[in-house]
Amino acid sequence: MTAAALVHVVMSGLATGSIYALMALALVIIYNATRTLNFAQGEMLMVSAFLAWTALRMGAPLWVAVVVAVAGSAALGFMIERLIIRRALAATHWDVLIITLGLSLVLRSLAGVIWSHDEFPFPSFFPSRPVALGPVRVVPISLGIIGASLTLMAVLYVVFTRTRMGRAMRAVAQNQRAARLVGISVERVSSMSWMLAAVVGAVAGVLIAPVIFLSTKMGLIVINGFTAAVLGGFGSMPGAVLGGMVLGVIENVAPLYLPSGIRHAVPFLLLIAILVLKPGGLLGRVQTRKV
Amino acid sequence: MRRLALGALAAILVGWPWAAPSYLVFLASLVLVNAIVAVGLNLLSGYTHQLSFGHAGFLAVGAYTAAVVTTHVPALPVPITLLVAGVFTGLVGVALGVPCLRLEGLYLTMATLAFGFVVIEAILNLDTLTRGADGFAVPLARLGPWRLETDRARYHLVLVVAAVLVWAALNLVHSRTGRAFLAIRESEIAAQASGVPVAAYKTIAFAVSAFYTGVAGGLFAFVVGQLSPDAFDVFLSVDFVVMIILGGLGSIPGAVLGAAVVTVLHDWLAAFQAYRPLIFGLILVACMLFMPGGIVSALDARGGRRAS
Repeated sequence: MTAAALVHVVMSGLATGSIYALMALALVIIYNATRTLNFAQGEMLMVSAFLAWTALRMGAPLWVAVVVAVAGSAALGFMIERLIIRRALAATHWDVLIITLGLSLVLRSLAGVIWSHDEFPFPSFFPSRPVALGPVRVVPISLGIIGASLTLMAVLYVVFTRTRMGRAMRAVAQNQRAARLVGISVERVSSMSWMLAAVVGAVAGVLIAPVIFLSTKMGLIVINGFTAAVLGGFGSMPGAVLGGMVLGVIENVAPLYLPSGIRHAVPFLLLIAILVLKPGGLLGRVQTRKV
Repeated sequence: MRRLALGALAAILVGWPWAAPSYLVFLASLVLVNAIVAVGLNLLSGYTHQLSFGHAGFLAVGAYTAAVVTTHVPALPVPITLLVAGVFTGLVGVALGVPCLRLEGLYLTMATLAFGFVVIEAILNLDTLTRGADGFAVPLARLGPWRLETDRARYHLVLVVAAVLVWAALNLVHSRTGRAFLAIRESEIAAQASGVPVAAYKTIAFAVSAFYTGVAGGLFAFVVGQLSPDAFDVFLSVDFVVMIILGGLGSIPGAVLGAAVVTVLHDWLAAFQAYRPLIFGLILVACMLFMPGGIVSALDARGGRRAS
């Protein structure tokens, strides 16, 4: 394998990796507010991509479709949090986990009823024909995905460090009770977190749909997102980005050196391995719970 | 009174194949197979609070073990085959459970979810043994001179095994082990502090749960007669979770009841495939919001009794 070809593989690995990173970020944002894993995150991504597709079919240009997806997903995230999750916030974390599992079934099934379970091609802002950059061939769509994801991450960084709401979210993540004591509305933070995570997922959905096709199966990407988040250290946002990139590259490079049979199992084997060997992830720390 | 009710139930269950058409006998066998899985899953998730999203993987291991063993040793009596399937799956459970001991909560759940996917990939790749995606036609089960050719014969096999396993589970949860499970569920730290060896009991829970599911897998192989890896996907694991949530976590009768409701519902909704996950999803959400203890505790609250 030549170096140029390896660059090509790593590049597409980084592209899928950025999507995993966005998924992981969405999961971490919700985890920090609700202390549970949002199993329905993948299905929320899928629904927003379908919303964009519906807008396209009605003749809207691509950027309008993206706006529709973002607005629709924010509304969906808001409703889920307000109508269902908030009622169960007092319950244990795995009650909420099971609720989100139920939601993922409901969303997937509803999407199947509305849009069918077929696969649809989805347009992209970026061309998918490779262009030669010296000896290296790169696909513009990979670069576009990486660029768009990095931009969104930068925006998130600013939101979490510079805005009042972002800092409130971080405070709630650290200690809910203390955050409440200094006057932060934990309910508002929870609501905003679900909307923000849904929006991040919507952007990821619109970016990845041209590559993997639009279908109700897209939701399974939540597992890769979780693997990425765990790889980086669950709960840590820089970790989520790093974990996503590493997972994307491993997933694309590993099949070159492994028998083709286990290629689909790579993310799952990686998840089990990281959970067993280093549950704290690359950047995280294992939390010891006080009695 | 209680004895009378139990006796009547036993009579109905034994006599069922003579009263019902063949398809309902087959369906009843499936209910019982799922009931065994639900009881096994409940011992792990309802009693020690280790939620598993990977029990379809254990079911597949059991089913394929039984199928492979019967193909290579056709004369082996069925109870031995089932025992082999159960023990082998139990060992797989220990192999997964021991490294997962340091995980808790959703980390463990995600590890079991990944396990389910890995099992499907393994079945697809070990195609010399499992025949991969082509599917595996399971030979008839044999018991000495008899071959279990009819749905009725297979139903009675499943019924006997299910009865033994449910009775064993009822005894287990009232034993020292069962109390240790409950102590772990309430608080791992408190259990450890009171001298309950948490790691050992969590491993036992994993082993027993996998054993149950493995035996159920063996029965599933004989009842259905045809195995293919896509029958054991993650949605089957979710169905098992729905069974114990709906029936009632931490209740053996609840697990059986949940398995019966979900299996029959699954069958009724066969014509409305697209809506099936919708309904099961709504069941999960509704149970968690309005009926956290499942059917059993809802019934008990009405009758003013405590769940056993």
